[in-house]
Amino acid sequence: MTRRRTTPWPLILLSPGVGLLVLFVLLPILLTAWISLHTWSMYTPLSQMDYVGLANYRGLLNDRTFIRGLWNTLAYSGLSITLILPLAFFVGQLLYRGLIRGKSTLRAVVFLPYMIPTIAVAIIWGYLYAPLYGPLNQVLGWFGIAPRAWLGSVDQAMISLVIFNVWQTLGYYTVLMVAGLTQIPAVYFEAAVIDGANGWQQTWRITLPLLRRTLLFVVVIAMINSVQVFDPVYVLTQGGPASATTVLSYQVYKNAFEFGLAGKASSMAFVLFLVLVVAVAAVMRLLRDPTGES
Amino acid sequence: MRSKLSSLARVVVGAAVLALGAAYAQVTISYLTHWPPETVDLLSAAIDKYEAANPGVKIEVRAVPFGNLLSTLRSQATSPNGPTITGIYELWLPELVKSGIADAAPDAYSADVLANWPAGLVGSVSSDGTVYGYPNEVNLYALNYNKRLFAEAGIDGPPTTWEELIADAKKLTKRQGNTIVQQGFGLINSWPAGVVHPWLSFVYSNGGKFLDGTTATLDSPATEAVTELYHQLIFDDKVTDPAMGTANASTTGPYLQNFANGQTAMIVMANWWQSALRDSMGDAFDDIATAPIPVGPNGTDPHPVSYAWLTMVNSHATAEQRAAAWAFLEWLDGPTSGENGSSAMGDILSSMGIIPSRNSDVAAHSDELSSPFLQGYVSQLSNAIPFPTILGGEEISNALQQWLERVEFGQSSVADMTKNANKEIDEILERNY
Repeated sequence: MTRRRTTPWPLILLSPGVGLLVLFVLLPILLTAWISLHTWSMYTPLSQMDYVGLANYRGLLNDRTFIRGLWNTLAYSGLSITLILPLAFFVGQLLYRGLIRGKSTLRAVVFLPYMIPTIAVAIIWGYLYAPLYGPLNQVLGWFGIAPRAWLGSVDQAMISLVIFNVWQTLGYYTVLMVAGLTQIPAVYFEAAVIDGANGWQQTWRITLPLLRRTLLFVVVIAMINSVQVFDPVYVLTQGGPASATTVLSYQVYKNAFEFGLAGKASSMAFVLFLVLVVAVAAVMRLLRDPTGES
Repeated sequence: MRSKLSSLARVVVGAAVLALGAAYAQVTISYLTHWPPETVDLLSAAIDKYEAANPGVKIEVRAVPFGNLLSTLRSQATSPNGPTITGIYELWLPELVKSGIADAAPDAYSADVLANWPAGLVGSVSSDGTVYGYPNEVNLYALNYNKRLFAEAGIDGPPTTWEELIADAKKLTKRQGNTIVQQGFGLINSWPAGVVHPWLSFVYSNGGKFLDGTTATLDSPATEAVTELYHQLIFDDKVTDPAMGTANASTTGPYLQNFANGQTAMIVMANWWQSALRDSMGDAFDDIATAPIPVGPNGTDPHPVSYAWLTMVNSHATAEQRAAAWAFLEWLDGPTSGENGSSAMGDILSSMGIIPSRNSDVAAHSDELSSPFLQGYVSQLSNAIPFPTILGGEEISNALQQWLERVEFGQSSVADMTKNANKEIDEILERNY
């Protein structure tokens, strides 16, 4: 029997990367979980936090604003993904298949909003959405449509934020779709054409199955990004009107930095983290390749 | 002999160098504020003047938006590079004192505050009889109305009672179909203090209150009547459209724009808005006038809510920094740092349309304070009731704002609001006291 020689090199080479991951990812998560078991105003050292066990989590169960925020976060994410996925696929097809002229220019134009800081464009959208005097309502007026309240309405504020999100991030997801489409060998489509498959059949039978991994990636990234939405809520609505757009990340900010309830805020953040982990796991299971090939 | 002289010379030169070094030893302090760039320029000019006279002190200004001021303070107060001086809203003081962040004013500065500021304001910068900062700005609420729209509607003057407020608002409201295109009376939303302070001004002007010590009293008839008034204006008389009252992160947005554009005839707002209104309206700002809060059926006089700001020193700063910070604040708020007997702080505040608080500043700026817009506020100072400075005040404001907005947007009845908001506020108070 020969004894296998171990070498320290893999450990040495991996340790800087793993160390950074532990320092900047694992430790903050563990620290958040630890703080969530305490009350803490952030004005005192961590060592002076008061331990309260699971009281912060129990409090969330009866917290009307938290439940509203959780529901709003899920609604915002669900609506965003429902709109982004087909639109990004459609625009990606247009750009990749060369179905329209000037696709390079269009690709740049579609991607442009993603490059502008959210804070800056949110201010512009606040003006576009203004009730009565806003440009969007003026355009609606040309078609005889009554002005909308947009961000000033409890019914329209959330969808207004979703529209803003779709406008800003569509370019990014479209680029991901185009990258995925380039991975599909053209020979499959050529063979399908010879076999008499029409465009719909090609899309349904070839493009979508072979784009599965890209779709999964887009859904997961869109989910993570939309669940963490903060900037447009902070700039445009402050969670209002009447909590219509309050989302969990905004509530975490308010509780930690304005109310001095860092323990409660951490419990909210941890719940958000768990919701995200469960949702991503569910999506990965739903969209996994049935053949088991990676 | 020669060597003795040489040694003596060395000692003298060395002592001189040490003394000079000590005199010019730099102590660097920082000043955290939420003021806009043009106001920060005025503060920087005052600092330049102070630094020229005090070469051992270096003062850095750190400016953040209003919405980020508390979060910046909370996240940086205990850090080695945290702000030495911060301009804070008085509502934050109890927690800062409880957490040991606010430095108690040394005796000389405490005596300065006690001698030169009105007693009410000394109270707003004190906790258990200890002074924790220099008061600076005073804000209170009044009715702002558009004289042009009033004249067009054939109304002689501003309403003085709720009955007149409703009657005038009806005359001032214009509709296209079911859509209000000019609202008689505007209510703000999406901003805690902006929502709560006008509501509470109506409560006080109706003989009510929302706190009795550390117990919520939203269920008292005089207090609940204000929420009923809001409900009536929106749903019965349809003279207020909450959708026109949204505020954004910089506390402007549609609420300000609708008033500036003449699409809102009346609002209740604080004096610090003067500069924002003037910037938005240009010459049309002359159409705006101020009047006392309309008095409710249970009230006798208008009683607007007032609140103050103060500059405090961080107790986590070094002893040298704290000493330098207090000395600077004494100068900044003192009668020699500004123009014509005003403090530099008084000049800075007046530039924004804010009422300064030092007795000598009020006298020095009497001309600006008697302008048609500000005079309406200044005349109500003696009637003003300060917003309660209590632990959990920010959270209470938020809870109250959420419930008021639910009523305004038809998501809650007045009775449900009263019951649930009362319960939520009591829970917050119980947690803090």
